[in-house]
Amino acid sequence: MSVATWVNETVVRDKTERRIFATLGLITVLLVVGVVTGVVGLSFLLFQISLVGMYALLSLGLNVQWGYAGLINFSVAAFWGLGAYCAALLTAPNSPLGLGLHPVFGFLAAIVVSALVAILIGIPTLRLREDYLAIASLGLAEVIRLIILNERQWTAGSSGISGIPALIPWLPLTRLATTASVVVVLGILIYLFLRRTHRSPWGRVLRTIRSDEDLAKALGKDTYQFKMQAFVIGSVIMAVAGAFYAHLNLYIDPSDLVPLTTFYIWIAVILGGTGSNRGAVVGAAVVIAIREGTRFLNDVPAIGSLGLDVAPLRLLFVGVLIILIMRYRQDGLLPPKDELIWPAAKDTGTAPSGGSPKPQTGGDD
Amino acid sequence: MIPLQISPFQYVVNGVVFSSIIVLAAIGLSLVYSIADFANFAHGDLMTVGAFSALFSVSFLQPALGDAGVFGLPLWFFLALAFGMLAAAVIAVVTDRIIYKPMKGSGSIGLLITSIGVALVYRAMVFLSFGSDSERYGVTRQGPIPWVRESFGVAVTPRNLVVVGLATVLVVGLHLTLTRTTLGRKMRATADNADLARISGIRTREVIIAMWLIGGALAAAGGVFLGLEELVRPRMGFDILLIVFAAVILGGIGSVYGAMLGGLVIGMVHELVPLFNQWGIIPVGSRYAAAVAFVIMVAILLVRPSGIVGESG
Repeated sequence: MSVATWVNETVVRDKTERRIFATLGLITVLLVVGVVTGVVGLSFLLFQISLVGMYALLSLGLNVQWGYAGLINFSVAAFWGLGAYCAALLTAPNSPLGLGLHPVFGFLAAIVVSALVAILIGIPTLRLREDYLAIASLGLAEVIRLIILNERQWTAGSSGISGIPALIPWLPLTRLATTASVVVVLGILIYLFLRRTHRSPWGRVLRTIRSDEDLAKALGKDTYQFKMQAFVIGSVIMAVAGAFYAHLNLYIDPSDLVPLTTFYIWIAVILGGTGSNRGAVVGAAVVIAIREGTRFLNDVPAIGSLGLDVAPLRLLFVGVLIILIMRYRQDGLLPPKDELIWPAAKDTGTAPSGGSPKPQTGGDD
Repeated sequence: MIPLQISPFQYVVNGVVFSSIIVLAAIGLSLVYSIADFANFAHGDLMTVGAFSALFSVSFLQPALGDAGVFGLPLWFFLALAFGMLAAAVIAVVTDRIIYKPMKGSGSIGLLITSIGVALVYRAMVFLSFGSDSERYGVTRQGPIPWVRESFGVAVTPRNLVVVGLATVLVVGLHLTLTRTTLGRKMRATADNADLARISGIRTREVIIAMWLIGGALAAAGGVFLGLEELVRPRMGFDILLIVFAAVILGGIGSVYGAMLGGLVIGMVHELVPLFNQWGIIPVGSRYAAAVAFVIMVAILLVRPSGIVGESG
C-alpha cells in the first residue's frame, strides 16, 4: 500500500484529526522554512524538539497511569525529578557523590530507583479511592521535593547540580542534535512498546479496571497488581524523561520539582485525549508551544508597557486552559478510537472495509 | 530573663495558633467535599485571595480609621478581615456559578481537575494585582504579654490571642448555624444525601450557595490569620493546602466536626515536630514538618480510609 494510505489507516481517523495533523504539518513546514531562512536558530529548534520529546515521554508515562488504568497520579514532577537527580548525581563530577560515571549508569539508576519508589508509594496509595490517591500522591511528591531540598550533603540542596556531561560525545553531531536524536529514538521505542501493551490482554484488563473496577474483580483479576504494574511502568518512563532532561539542560535544581510541572503534563494528556498515546505526544507538543510561546509575550510592547510580568500571565493561561478543556473538550484532540482493537480482530469484524468500527473510548468516567 | 531552651509549652502555644488557621481552612474544604462532592484544589488559593483582598482594603481603611484599636490590634485590621471574608465568599459563589455549576455532569474527578485550573487562575490574579513580593498587614509588632511570659515562660502575643479567639468564635458560630437553624439542617441533610434532600423539597441550590459563602469566608479568615502570623504571599494558600487536606482526611472527609478535630491534631503535630525530634520520637526536624503531616495523612488513609471520625467502609 502507498504511504498515504498507510498514514490514513494507522494515524488519522477522521476529519477533525485530519485537520489537527494538517495544522501540525503546517507548523513543521513553517519551522523548517524558518530554520532555512535563518529566522529560527537551529540550536533553538533542536532544544525545543528535545523538550517536546521529553514532555511526550512524561505524557506517555502519565497516560499509562491515568489513561490506561485511571490512576490519578499527581507526583509526575517527583518521578521526573528522581530520574533527573539519579542522572545528575551519578554522572556529574562535581555532584556531592562525585562519581562522574557514564550516563548509561544514570539512566539505569533512574529506572531502578523510580521503580522502587513507585512500589513504595504504590503499596499504601493504590488501594485508595481515586481522589484520595490524588491527594496522597501530591503529598508524597512534596515529601520527595523536601528531601531533595534539605539533604544537601547528598543532593546539593537548593544550589542544584551543574557540570552534567553531554550524551554520546563521539557521535559526529552537535550536542543538541545528539540529545534531540536520543529523545526521538527513546520516544519512538516507548511509543511502540506502549501501543503494543495497550492492545494486549494486559492493556484490556487495565481498560476494564478504569471503566469498572468491580467488574474486573468479578472477572477474577487482581486489580491491585495490574494497577501497580501500570503505576511502575508509568513512573519509570517519567524518570527516564527526567534523566534525559539532566543531560539536555546540564543543570538541575529542586525548583523544577514543583507541582506546576505535574499539572502541565496533566494538561498534555487530557488535551491530547485521555488514553490515547498519539494524543499524549500531540498534547506534549501543544503544551511546549504554550510554555515557550508565552516567553515571547515579554517582547510584545502592549504587555511590556503595562509592566506585567509574563510568569503570572502564563499561569493564568494554563489555568484557563485546564478549565476550558474540562468544560468543552474532555475527550481531547485525539481521543482513543479503533487503534485499541487488535488488527486481526478488526479484519474479521462486521464493519465494512474502509469504515471504522464503532468507536471505542478509553472508558471515560 | 529569656530562657535559652525553648519551653515545650511554647511549641504548644504555636500549635494552638497554627491549628486555629488549619481548622478554619479545613471546614470549608470539608463542606465542599461533602456537599459539592469533590476535592477542591482551589481552596488554598481561595485563602490567598482572601488574604490579599484584606490587604487591599487596608490601603483605604487604615487612613480612614487611624490607629485606634481593640484587643491590641487596630480597628482597621478587623474591618479588613471582614472585607477579605466577604470578598472570598463572593468570589467562591461566582466561581461556582460560572465554572462548577455548568459542569455538574463531569463527575468528581472532572471537577477535581477543573479546580486545579481555578487555583492557577486565582493565583495568577493575585500575582497580576499585587506582584510576587511578600507583604505585611502593617500591624505594629507587639511583644509577648509580660505576665504570661513571667509566670509560664512562654511568649504569647496579643495577636496570637486575637487569632485563636476569633477562630473559636467563627467555629462556634458555624456549629450553632448547623445545629440551630433551618439552613444548617438543610445543609446537613444535603451533605448526607443530596438526592434524598432534593426530593424532600430542600432547595439544594440554596444550600450550595450557602456552602460556598461559608467555606469562602472561613478560608479567607484562615488566610488573613496566616498572613498576620507569617507573611502575605501569593503562594501561601497553595503551600498550606496539603496540610489542610491532611486535616480533612484525618477527621473524615465531609465531616465538619471531623475537620475541626483533624485541623487541631494536624496543626499541633506540625508545630510539635521540633519537640518530637528533641525527644527522639521522630528523626527529622522542623524542615520536615509538612512532610510529617503528609505521612500521617497517608497512614490514616491506610488504616481507616474514611478518617477517624468518618464512618468506616
